[in-house]
Amino acid sequence: MIEVTSISKGFRNIQAVDNASFTVRDGAITGLLGHNGAGKTTTLRILYGLLKADSGSALIDGVNVLENPLMAQEIIGVMTDAHGLNPRLTAREHIKYFARLRGMPASLIRQRISTFVETLDMAEIIDRRAEGFSQGEKMKVCLARSLVHDPRNLIMDEPTNGLDVMTTRSVRSMLQSLKKDNKCILLSSHIMQEISALCDEVVVIAEGRVLMQGSLDDLARLTGESDLEEAFMAVTKSG
Amino acid sequence: MMWSVITRKELKDALRDRRALAGMLLFPVMGPLMIYFMFNSIIDIAEEAGDITLPVVGQDYAHDLVDYLDQNGINILPLSIETPDEPDQAFYNAGQLAEVRTLIRSRQYDYVLVIPPDFDSLIGASRRSNIELHLESTRTKAAPQTARISSLIDSWGRETASLRLLARGISPQLVSPVTVVSIDIASQQSRVQRLLGMVPFFVLMAAFVCGMGVAVDVTAGERERKSLEPLLVNPVPRSTIVIGKWLAAVTFSATGLILVLVLNFFSLSRIPLEEVGIVFNIGTLQLTGILLTILPMSLLAPAIQIFIGIFARSFKDAQGYLSFVMLLPMIPFFYNMFNTQDRAFWMNFVPMLGQHMLLNDVVRGEAPGITDFVVAGVSLFIYSMFFVYAASRLIRKERIIFS
Repeated sequence: MIEVTSISKGFRNIQAVDNASFTVRDGAITGLLGHNGAGKTTTLRILYGLLKADSGSALIDGVNVLENPLMAQEIIGVMTDAHGLNPRLTAREHIKYFARLRGMPASLIRQRISTFVETLDMAEIIDRRAEGFSQGEKMKVCLARSLVHDPRNLIMDEPTNGLDVMTTRSVRSMLQSLKKDNKCILLSSHIMQEISALCDEVVVIAEGRVLMQGSLDDLARLTGESDLEEAFMAVTKSG
Repeated sequence: MMWSVITRKELKDALRDRRALAGMLLFPVMGPLMIYFMFNSIIDIAEEAGDITLPVVGQDYAHDLVDYLDQNGINILPLSIETPDEPDQAFYNAGQLAEVRTLIRSRQYDYVLVIPPDFDSLIGASRRSNIELHLESTRTKAAPQTARISSLIDSWGRETASLRLLARGISPQLVSPVTVVSIDIASQQSRVQRLLGMVPFFVLMAAFVCGMGVAVDVTAGERERKSLEPLLVNPVPRSTIVIGKWLAAVTFSATGLILVLVLNFFSLSRIPLEEVGIVFNIGTLQLTGILLTILPMSLLAPAIQIFIGIFARSFKDAQGYLSFVMLLPMIPFFYNMFNTQDRAFWMNFVPMLGQHMLLNDVVRGEAPGITDFVVAGVSLFIYSMFFVYAASRLIRKERIIFS
């Protein structure tokens, strides 16, 4: 479970996150919804410990990220905004590298990788060097390396951005099965279809402020719009 | 150990980078090759200078002088050109002199000494005679030889003059109050020694050159690939990450340095240094000493490069900064070239200068003091740690991680 309480983060001339509070439940997929530049990525970066919030607190399963980022990083899996891979290493080596950095034993790493090969359909690319990987193949590697330690909490920055239909579907079905395992999943997106297809809850954010949190139905009821996109527009305008 | 996971991954990656690997190997091989050819050419020149063959026209006209030259180690080569038409002729005619010039121009000889037929009779009558040394002054290789020949003829002239004065009861000192005695110490031996001084320079350069590619790739390269942020979400302390990356660069730097050292000594052992009177016997013990002296350099150079690599915005940016860093090992080299001061204790604390001094000692066959040795090594280690620490502070900065 992730509990965010009035976090703020300012950069030189912009207040990126402004007194934001929300909660991410276990066993559900929560979408952080907002326009480009609304503060989604900054919020996520604070949650996975790479940015220090100016104020407020963020607890992940009770661990305060701001005070103890390394301990919090132990219990989360992160897919960052940056999807850089090393062109000279194979998909398997990428996943192994992150697994070893988390101190996993070799036998477990092997077992986890064979699971990913199956669920993410990576048989063809697993022993190929990342040089020349398509966007979808890159994302599969990123997803696998962020999930390799089977984290209880998952934070993903636009996980299906730029993916083809096939890959998007396999990512979605993976997230659904993680949800069934009672994981706590937070993902950001600016795409309505994405949110409506995946999420149980939404947190709408604009100019660094949380405008509302609730289920998709709540969002529709609040705005009186049946169409999600219209509802989103209505919320962000009124905010 | 967590850092070893990072080091091993970075090494694996670097070993797959063929171009960087070739660049790393090129330097260790180039240096010793250059030294080998430079030494050999110097020794060749030296050999020729020591062994002068002088083509002489009319050697029979100056018995005394020719004997004198012969006694002073000049090999006399009698040249027979067309004899004068008239036996009593005092000078050579234009055609005969042209013949001499052709011999020089065609590079058959670099110089020819021409003695006039009336030489002995003029000298015997206490008179004066001209003697001609024909040469081509643009042939610098022959310059030391013609200089030697001229000075020998001069000194023969002075001796003859002294004898004439003595025969008349006059002290020769009366007419030559001052004699300049030049003592030439720029022998081939010192030239070779100056070249030997370049060996430490090559070895110190290797520490900088061979680890640079890896140091830049694991820092600026990582930022440029956008793989730094995903790496940092793993629960690993930043200092561990920096140490892991640093050690990967250290491995390359140290490997290159050892390679340069071994190849240099191999090529030095194949050069006939004893021909110029230099005894070069460096055994396993000295080699170990040299290695221990300069190996800490492989800690410092990558530490500086990692620090700059993290600081730089991109690969290109980093290479720009680092080309300045590459000048660092040259500073002690030039300092030593112009330094008139004796070795002082403070020099041990100056990175590279201390190592350079120690290496020069060893290459010249002197044993460096154990204090110098330890102080220089430990201060290098401390400087390295400083840069590693600074780098792990730098990698915490938000503007470094996200830009």
